Amino acid sequence: MTMPLTPVWFIALPLLLAFASPLWVRLRLLMPLLVGTPAALLALALGLLPAVRTAPLLETIVIAPPLGIHLQLDSASWLLVALINFAGVVVGAFLWLGETEPYLRERRAFILILLLIAGCNGMVLTGDLFNLYVFLEIAGVSAYALSALRRDAPALEAGLKYLIIGSVAAIFFLFAVVLIYLQTGNLSLAAVARGFSEIPGPMQMLIGLLMLIGLGIKTELFPFNFWVPDIYQGSHPAVASLYSGILVKAFLFVLFHLVFLFLADPGVAGAWLMGLGAITMLVAETVALRQEDLRRMLAYSSLGQIGLITLALGFGVESTTAGGLFHMVNHTLVKLLLFLTAAILLRSFVSARIADFAGAGRARPLAGALFVLGALAVMGLPPLSGFASKLWILKGFAEAGVFWPVALILLAALIEAGYYFRWIKVLYEPRTEVAIEPSEGRWAYLPIGVVAGLIVLLGVAPFLVDDLFIEGARSLLDRTATLVAVLGAGS
Amino acid sequence: MLSFLDEPRVLHGIYVLGSLTLFFIGLYGLLAKRHLLKILISIAVMELAVYLLFIGLATSPGETAPILSDGLQGFVGMADPVPQALTLTAIVIGLAVLGLGISLAVQYHRLTGKADVAGLTELKDV
Amino acid sequence: MSDVPLRKRVRAKTLMLVLLCGWLFAAHLGILFQYGLDGQTASVGDALLARNAETASANAVTSVVVSYRGFDTLGEVTVLFLAATGIGLLFGARQRAGAEGAETPISDPNEMLMTGVRLLFPVLVLLGVYVVVHGHLSPGGGFQGGVIIATAFFLRMLADRTFVLNHSLIGLLEALSGSGFVLVGLLGLILLGTATFLGNFLPHPVADMGRLLSAGVIPVVYCLVGVKVGAEVAAIFGDMLERGSSHPPDAETS
Repeated sequence: MTMPLTPVWFIALPLLLAFASPLWVRLRLLMPLLVGTPAALLALALGLLPAVRTAPLLETIVIAPPLGIHLQLDSASWLLVALINFAGVVVGAFLWLGETEPYLRERRAFILILLLIAGCNGMVLTGDLFNLYVFLEIAGVSAYALSALRRDAPALEAGLKYLIIGSVAAIFFLFAVVLIYLQTGNLSLAAVARGFSEIPGPMQMLIGLLMLIGLGIKTELFPFNFWVPDIYQGSHPAVASLYSGILVKAFLFVLFHLVFLFLADPGVAGAWLMGLGAITMLVAETVALRQEDLRRMLAYSSLGQIGLITLALGFGVESTTAGGLFHMVNHTLVKLLLFLTAAILLRSFVSARIADFAGAGRARPLAGALFVLGALAVMGLPPLSGFASKLWILKGFAEAGVFWPVALILLAALIEAGYYFRWIKVLYEPRTEVAIEPSEGRWAYLPIGVVAGLIVLLGVAPFLVDDLFIEGARSLLDRTATLVAVLGAGS
Repeated sequence: MLSFLDEPRVLHGIYVLGSLTLFFIGLYGLLAKRHLLKILISIAVMELAVYLLFIGLATSPGETAPILSDGLQGFVGMADPVPQALTLTAIVIGLAVLGLGISLAVQYHRLTGKADVAGLTELKDV
Repeated sequence: MSDVPLRKRVRAKTLMLVLLCGWLFAAHLGILFQYGLDGQTASVGDALLARNAETASANAVTSVVVSYRGFDTLGEVTVLFLAATGIGLLFGARQRAGAEGAETPISDPNEMLMTGVRLLFPVLVLLGVYVVVHGHLSPGGGFQGGVIIATAFFLRMLADRTFVLNHSLIGLLEALSGSGFVLVGLLGLILLGTATFLGNFLPHPVADMGRLLSAGVIPVVYCLVGVKVGAEVAAIFGDMLERGSSHPPDAETS
């Protein structure tokens, strides 16, 4: 009797532990498990890495594809899975060590956070269209409930807005899934991809638009993202770091996975997505300039970066795609750093308005320094990791001879520098009567420090992980390899 | 006299007409109504329209339920079981989301006395 | 007729929305009428139907729901669990809100309701159990039966003001059935030679098709689903109905 360590553990383990949560309350294991579960999954992911790099791992559930559901762990989804579980460890450790608000440390928050991680893992791993919808709902519902966790009016409002918008997105996605099944008779992603070109043109268009609305809302692309800052503002910053760090990343991956897999020639769809990404980036960065609330500013900055990633991935060339994946990882690290630092600052300085932050960096030197580090990494200053990934993307565009995205990305970085320096300046404004509260939860700096270390490390030595991203980009772009791996050589 | 209804294209046409009408009634409600509960109900209507479309179009006239009973011997001439299974799953998910949404709306109303989406202004650009 | 001028009765915004929805409706209708009416030719479902005998379940929908696409069902149970958790969270907060005065109290149940429910309650529970355990033989299954059982308790709560759900028991049932589902899935991964999650590791000879004890792991999973759905829907009903008076604020913190 053996215990095969297969990709299904990424979903089964958090599910099992979340269902059995009353037991952990009794054993006083809630917080250790909140950190331990994603840590165990991260270790599993690292253990599976050598196997993944040689060939994608396919796991059949009950019956082989195209008839049944399967999980697929290839180089691209490995990156996302490792990222998601790493972010889970960081946020869990922050909640455990940081003496955060009690409502984030009780059983329900434990369930919601674990299942959010499970939902994101599932979305990234699954090779079945309807299963994707189910995981999308798992991640969605846990996010709605997490928003409303504080149970006061702003939190409830954020939860309600998120729920309404999110379920509309899910309906459009489900509609597209239904049409695909009716047209091709398949649900396995690979089998759908094989038959997709035989769907009549207008029907393809309709399916594509429905998907775009559904996933566009979830990935927070331009015309569909007016609601995002409200959610980030109403939620606790630690929760917002999960949204910006892993939820959106998982959806972005799903969007591009579907585009590159279904369409034999992703040129047109890619161009549309590049356009949407560029608009998202410019609009969000411009609006971020005049934000007076720290959380809203970070939300708009997050939108801008998502636009940048969409722009890079939509181009569909290996170097920009690898750069986009790298930037995805960097952005998650940076936003974890910024949102968690914001959580610490917000605890000491009741309000999140810019005026109330004057001198905060002097009163809390460590938090202030970390915030500055994160801000510099977002802008992409060397030697931080944001620089390495942006350079990679820019180089990719330049090599392909397409220069308008280069100009836009540089412009966006300039605007970004504008508003981040505004905040940094306020943070270090001299102010005499700063009330320094007894600083509790010193240990909360530990996970943030780890993230900061990684940002510097990836910036100084990006060559350590280069290969991973190039392999990830290849497996994301190589449609035939996936089809052959799943359906056999005959297809 | 009504045998033309057994024609698959006619039957499917009726299903398409009905479920799409329902879907866009839901969409209209979603965009035009401002009461939170009405919005949630509109979402439910849209969802149900999608289920109806799925089940309706996946079944052809003359097929039996995919259950072996009443002297049926083999799994032939039966309706496709997958859409039914998927719809069952989707209905439960829809119910769960709707339940959570209504609880949120009720709770929000209790806390603030507001039930209008236009009144959701606690969080906004300043 | 009303005194409101026409200009106010037909508002421009409404008109625009009607036009927008109508246009989208026409576009969808056009595409679906042109390409979507023929039904399917060959689908995964047909292939699964042809192979269904191997599961030894007489109900092909059940074998798809519980076995072939059992992973979806696990996810679906999880969503329900999440919603129940969220609803419990929201309604557990009422004591803190302190705005109970605005609620209109439910009038006491009348004699008809009480007697009727007293008669109906055992019948409903029995029907629910029947529907759950015969999920692999006849229409119905864990979800349908679970909801019937939950409805029985809901009626009981409506008819009897003193009847209070035992929340810790419900929590226990939820936890046991949910982790049971995952554990059964993991047993398939460990015990089966093919090592698939949710694989059917119990013997399921085709000759037994149609008997109550057949189809291996399928009825086991469906019973767990039934318990879980029943417990969760009952908990949702209970949370919505109890109005904060009867059950104490949950003091569960780590």
